[in-house]
Amino acid sequence: MIQISDDIIIKTLARVLVPFILLYALYVIMHGHHSPGGGFQGGVILGASLVLLVITHGLKDTQKRISEKSVAIFSSLGVLIYAGIGVLCLILLGNFLDYSKLAILLNVPLAQARSLGILGVEIGVGLAVMAVMFSIFCNIATGGKQAEEDND
Amino acid sequence: MDTFFVVIGMGLCILVLFVLYRVVYGPGVFNRVAALSAIGNKTLIILLIMGFVYHRVEMFIDISMVYALLNFIGTIAASKYLEMEGSIS
Amino acid sequence: MEVTLLIEAMDTSVGLLEDARKKAVELLDSAVKLTSETRGVEEKKIQAILKGAQETKLEFLNVIATFIILFGFWVLLSGKYDFFHLTLGVICSLLVAFLTHDLLFANARVGDARVIFQRFIMYVPWLLYQIVSSNIHVALVVLSRKKPIDPRIIRFKTKLESDISWVTLANSITLTPGTITMDIKDGEFFVHALDKKVADDLHAGEMEDRVAHVFMEADHIYVQDVLDVAPIFGELKKGL
Repeated sequence: MIQISDDIIIKTLARVLVPFILLYALYVIMHGHHSPGGGFQGGVILGASLVLLVITHGLKDTQKRISEKSVAIFSSLGVLIYAGIGVLCLILLGNFLDYSKLAILLNVPLAQARSLGILGVEIGVGLAVMAVMFSIFCNIATGGKQAEEDND
Repeated sequence: MDTFFVVIGMGLCILVLFVLYRVVYGPGVFNRVAALSAIGNKTLIILLIMGFVYHRVEMFIDISMVYALLNFIGTIAASKYLEMEGSIS
Repeated sequence: MEVTLLIEAMDTSVGLLEDARKKAVELLDSAVKLTSETRGVEEKKIQAILKGAQETKLEFLNVIATFIILFGFWVLLSGKYDFFHLTLGVICSLLVAFLTHDLLFANARVGDARVIFQRFIMYVPWLLYQIVSSNIHVALVVLSRKKPIDPRIIRFKTKLESDISWVTLANSITLTPGTITMDIKDGEFFVHALDKKVADDLHAGEMEDRVAHVFMEADHIYVQDVLDVAPIFGELKKGL
């Protein structure tokens, strides 16, 4: 169980930096087609920001913000978005992950439909990677034991 | 201008080799952590200089910001681990 | 004989008057205590309502301010200013502002943010000048033949109050070469300095005064002290 850090410099710096790190990770996901980045890289930076919050503010306070239940929901949501877009393309009489068929649904030109399809898939990948990295870190840090409330 | 940047990049690489001595032979783990943080700083500048050499700076700024971030978090995590005398729980 | 009776009557009447006076004083005391207690309860209720309203107002302002700063950061990062990317930026900034609005402005006072921001922008050039001059001094010390360094650890108490000003002062001390902040314990700074000149600069306290001026601390009268003194002052005036 990682305790809250008693060094005030690191605590204040971490709490000021975390919103900017989250926004930078979302920027990396959204601009995957134009500059280095994409889904997996953005997911890693999201997970790293949550790890920073854990090691400076303690595991308990961070789990008040993101509980283990919502982490599990995020990972499943990411896979659902990815597979859902693929199956949507199947339903619209194309191949699996054939984004050109999405142009029928969105009324945009063909190339832009492909670009939006890839963007959606990257968002799903980013969510899943963030959830899995945070969950692995928490499991290794607590040794797999559940938090026992009567031992405080 | 390109030659100037290439020469400066090579000078920084030689400085990294000097700091690498502390990473390998530093007596104790604190010397190694501090030297790794210093190498991370120089790597940042070398990445930006490479961006200037290839005339695509805006791409390399993203990469160097991510590397600075991960270096920062890694140093804090390592020092927190060392503060608790080898056990984090 | 009538004189003794008269004296006795006067004694009893004085005793009765004393009892009546004592009872009257007791009644007055209990009346004053009751009114002050109810006034205290009323004041606490009003304070709780005001604080709750201020907290919700602060929370809403926190979200708006965080959203504006994050959107400015997004516009700075992304070079593309067409409608699609700016909409993506608005959605992402709103999402992050809702999730982390209590992180960025945890100890902020309402209405002061603009002044603090302006003063902070005017503080940065002075800090850069200090960094350059300390750089030159430390380089001269290190490169000379005798190396007259005299390392020491200083501890001093600050007059700053909030954690952001502590962190600003600690980072400014660490950024100027020659001094490194080691720890902050209970408002006391532990700083490692390289030689006597930088230690004297630190003890003179100019950096601390400037940081206190930036965050508007340690230069105002505490209103609560005046309110505490006022009843005692009233009592003294009554006794005159």
